[in-house]
Amino acid sequence: MGIIEQLHQMKGQALERISAAQDLSGLDATRVEFLGKKGSLTSILRGLGSLPADERPMVGKVSNEVRVELESAIDTRREELRTMELEAKVASDAVDVTLPGRVRMPGREHLIERITREVVEIFVGLGYRVAEGPEVELAYYNFTALNTPEAHPARSASDTFYVRDLSSAEVSATGESDVLLRTHTSPAQVRVMEAQKPPIYIVVPGKVYRPDAPDPSHLPQFTQVEGLVVDEGITFADLKGTLEHFCHEMFGYDRKTRIRPHFFPFTEPSAEVDVSCGICAGAGCRFCGNTGWLEILGCGMVDPNVFGYAGVDTERYTGFAFGMGVERIAALKYGLPDLRMLVEGDMRFLRQF
Amino acid sequence: MRVSMKWLQELTDVSVTVPELVDRLDMTGTAVEAVHTLGEGLEGVVVGQVVSKEAHPEADKLWVTKVDVGDGEPLQIVCGAQNFEAGDKVPVALVGTTLPGGLTIKKAKLRGVESFGMNCSAAELGAGSDHQGLQILPQDAPVGMAYAEYAGSSDTVLELEITPNRPDCLSMSGVAREVAAVLGTTYELPGGAPAEAGEPADALAMVEIEDATLCPRYTARLIRGVRIGPSPDWLAERVTAAGARSINNVVDITNFVMFEMGQPLHAFDASTLATTDGRAHIIVRTAREGEKLTTLDGMERPLASDTLLICDPDGPVALAGVMGGEHTEVSEKTVDILLESAAFHPASVSRTSRSLSLISEASTRFERGVDPNGCVAAADRAAQLMADLCDGTVAPGVIDVYPTPVEPVRLTLRLATIAKVLGVEIAPDEAAGILERLGMTVENAAAVLEVSVPTYRPDITREIDLVEEVLRVWGMERVASTLPGGRQRIGGLDSSQRWRERIGAAMRACGLNETMTYAFGDAADIERLGMEFAPGEALVELLDPMSTEQSVLRRTLLPGLLRSVSYNQRRGVRDIHLYEMGTAFVTGEGRKMPKERKMLCGVLAGRWYPAAWHDAEGAGRHGANGSSDALRGPEINFFDGKGVIEALVVEVGASRFKVRDADIAWLQPGRRAEVLLGGDVVGWLGEVHPRVLGAFDADPSVVAFELAVDALVRAATPVRPYVDVPRYPAVEFDVALVVEEAVTVERVLDAVRSAGGKLLDDVRLFDVYRGTGVAEGRKSLAFALTYRAPDRTLTDEEVRPQHERLLRKVASAVGAELRGAE
Ligand SMILES: [Zn+2]
Repeated sequence: MGIIEQLHQMKGQALERISAAQDLSGLDATRVEFLGKKGSLTSILRGLGSLPADERPMVGKVSNEVRVELESAIDTRREELRTMELEAKVASDAVDVTLPGRVRMPGREHLIERITREVVEIFVGLGYRVAEGPEVELAYYNFTALNTPEAHPARSASDTFYVRDLSSAEVSATGESDVLLRTHTSPAQVRVMEAQKPPIYIVVPGKVYRPDAPDPSHLPQFTQVEGLVVDEGITFADLKGTLEHFCHEMFGYDRKTRIRPHFFPFTEPSAEVDVSCGICAGAGCRFCGNTGWLEILGCGMVDPNVFGYAGVDTERYTGFAFGMGVERIAALKYGLPDLRMLVEGDMRFLRQF
Repeated sequence: MRVSMKWLQELTDVSVTVPELVDRLDMTGTAVEAVHTLGEGLEGVVVGQVVSKEAHPEADKLWVTKVDVGDGEPLQIVCGAQNFEAGDKVPVALVGTTLPGGLTIKKAKLRGVESFGMNCSAAELGAGSDHQGLQILPQDAPVGMAYAEYAGSSDTVLELEITPNRPDCLSMSGVAREVAAVLGTTYELPGGAPAEAGEPADALAMVEIEDATLCPRYTARLIRGVRIGPSPDWLAERVTAAGARSINNVVDITNFVMFEMGQPLHAFDASTLATTDGRAHIIVRTAREGEKLTTLDGMERPLASDTLLICDPDGPVALAGVMGGEHTEVSEKTVDILLESAAFHPASVSRTSRSLSLISEASTRFERGVDPNGCVAAADRAAQLMADLCDGTVAPGVIDVYPTPVEPVRLTLRLATIAKVLGVEIAPDEAAGILERLGMTVENAAAVLEVSVPTYRPDITREIDLVEEVLRVWGMERVASTLPGGRQRIGGLDSSQRWRERIGAAMRACGLNETMTYAFGDAADIERLGMEFAPGEALVELLDPMSTEQSVLRRTLLPGLLRSVSYNQRRGVRDIHLYEMGTAFVTGEGRKMPKERKMLCGVLAGRWYPAAWHDAEGAGRHGANGSSDALRGPEINFFDGKGVIEALVVEVGASRFKVRDADIAWLQPGRRAEVLLGGDVVGWLGEVHPRVLGAFDADPSVVAFELAVDALVRAATPVRPYVDVPRYPAVEFDVALVVEEAVTVERVLDAVRSAGGKLLDDVRLFDVYRGTGVAEGRKSLAFALTYRAPDRTLTDEEVRPQHERLLRKVASAVGAELRGAE
């Protein structure tokens, strides 16, 4: 067989092998076998010396064409194989995207703290600052300076937790005490008025205590947010507008509000604010006791006697105060069946909110 | 306060529907708590007559009755009441009836005896509060008639919440006045002096008050020759609608007048009172040492020395304003009545009724305050009724001891004050009209009103009280809302409050859930922890705790959180990550008020998260879907707690964070430390001692920490100065140093840093190894050291001599050997 025939035969074999290569290493082996230093092409060309000189250019030309053709075929096949391999890798990397994500979940805020923060944020948005007061208070701040009469039942040991007064051995031994766990956040009002000249725009979030045995709707410890405004020209209309804004922010602008007269010793006039029931939209249902309304907070214009105790000039200043129970808002807004869940620390409860 | 609409209609013209009235009352300060429709739900209740009454064969307290309901054969009904006899007429609920309380009557078998209906009490019919026995109907009640039709009980009763400032509204007259005022109509109150005859009252009785502060006024009337008997229907109906039980004509009259006029009355059987000079002698005084009184309810009660009593010369006959005595009670034999109409000091009545747990309609009214100027009108009204309904003769005159009459308060109301406080303008005649409808007298309806306030409104003593009256009747809903102007106000949180929010956020970012526990604690918690007090320090003790578990204020938040750990573990929740920011309390000798410190306390138990599909993948531990527990991450230990604090320290930018071993009794030795910031101890951290966990019923292991929030806030850095971000690559060397067990990582790190020179940028511990290749009692610490220059790329060749010098220094400083250094 002449060299040219050998070259054509080899080319045919090589092309078959190239297209049959299934991976890059197999293709490379095929290239070495046919085109390498010790490959088929070289060994065929080794017979070139025995050819007549005039045939050599022809053989050289053909062998070159074969080489170029094979290299091109190898390149093409290499690209094909690369694409196949990438596709295979991508295919094998596919996952079930419905598997859960890989995360360490952050902890959650306690429901009561969260609502407290929401309430505070609404009033901070209206230009209020946040004041705090001691949880153990003097009867003076908790009752007297808030215009609560000496004989008022709220002062009795069945309505207020008193703590032992250690200021002297004699006092301690009697068990008489005017030191107590605050029953509301209102004493902070008086402390702020004593410490600071108007204008005063504050909210006071905090824990308060009353001797109620724990049951689904009572805890001996609960949370209030108190508000106090003292400035020139403050009116009942301002109180009403402020609390309407608060209720809309807290419960939604689709809810109606109403303000109706009530009684508190430390405000005059006093009122309560209701929000329309979110379940029946005011038509009346079991949840709202058929009234269509849910009581949210108590409020009123600061009683002149309270200003008197705190040393605020009643001819120059007027003011309003309000207070709300955060647990009650939690129960109304989140449908809590039992307030005791709030203090148990059950992880399954805490992680819900 | 229960208000019968039928009764109210007799006193004032209620021109609106019940729902409209309810709304008007709600919106003017008299909250309507409930509306009861009497007669509703009574369709299946008829008048029946008990034909026979036999003991139940199987049960002591049950009766088997046959009751004629006018429908042929009498019904057999098993009944548990004790107050009836055969022949009595009673309301009977037939099978299929649903009573107002929701109870549906079914054919039933009670202890083996069939029962075809129910004989009813007044309470079961929604017609009063009497649960004690059947409602016995008058003998003339027609058998078979629908009960609602018979009783004429198609009435509506409003239950009003009367606020403590409105004692006047604890009466039908007061409510009528209030309703007329808010509806703009008129009202008419009954009254007038009774016809009198015979010997004058002051010849029959005398009254003496020892302390006029406790009893500002005592009036008495004598009604002679009364016949005690049942009340007429209208009277029984009224007192039942008001919530009392019809007893007899005299008692019902006293109750009726109390409900009508707000003045509690008491009727004594005059013949039972001891006399002085032939006259029944009433003495109002406080109790003497050792005195006792058997009250109407048959209880003998020892009397505290501050108890105000009504006495005769022989001793106590009634608890003033609270309850009468048994001995002087009106009975069917009573002929002459001494009728008391008095005013007692609210606090005194309140003390007595609370200390004896006797709260009655009368005591409630005295506690709120009864107008002394109303005593005589009420006595007159009752005396007249006793004359009319009991055939009594009213003795001429009222015995009246009233040393210091209460005068009406005179006030001025400036219209300008209304505008200033309310932010609305109200015309003078409109304001005056409101006050007049409320019973006040107004002169000079101009810019300044001169107002005289009747004594039944003791709550109105100041101009502001008049402003409130005007506002609530004029209508809060008519006030146009505004927002405060407040040109000088600035809102926002202060720095400490903002830091506290960030501290909480950092805790949650670390995976801890916020919780809230009681501020109360058990004094024994401190012993359970083994916590000690500084000299003179003490727990804050509640004087009247609800339980020993809640008898003191917490000194640390840890016990509450350990209880939550236990609560979770007992319910199968093992992975627990909780924190609380709350107040801890401690007091001491000589302190009136305790110290309050805001604390941040955390507890961690179990693992950080449940086994997840990727845990095994990452760890190369595919377990052929074996137990999920085997695949879970490591148990939380000391270093998880420490990690949380490290994250917190970074968040607040505190410097010089350090922990050091300390003797903390409630933590496990060897796994406990004090936490220091800037050289100050700010709290503690560690694994809770198993002994302590046992005492709180919690399972090991639990990591806990508690830090003083104020100290954290003080250590916080609001602004951290900029530091160049590295621009040139670093050279890293890993090195393993073998040291004695006693050598702490902190010491080695200090040695590395001090030997490091300018180029040492960072040093990080990445492994601690003990075992093969490391001698017993020693450990191998592997560090990655990073060298970097701020201005050029370092080469290995440049760094290596420095690195080797560092290693030599460290080795000699901490006694370390090099192990396979690179
Ligand atoms: Zn509703």
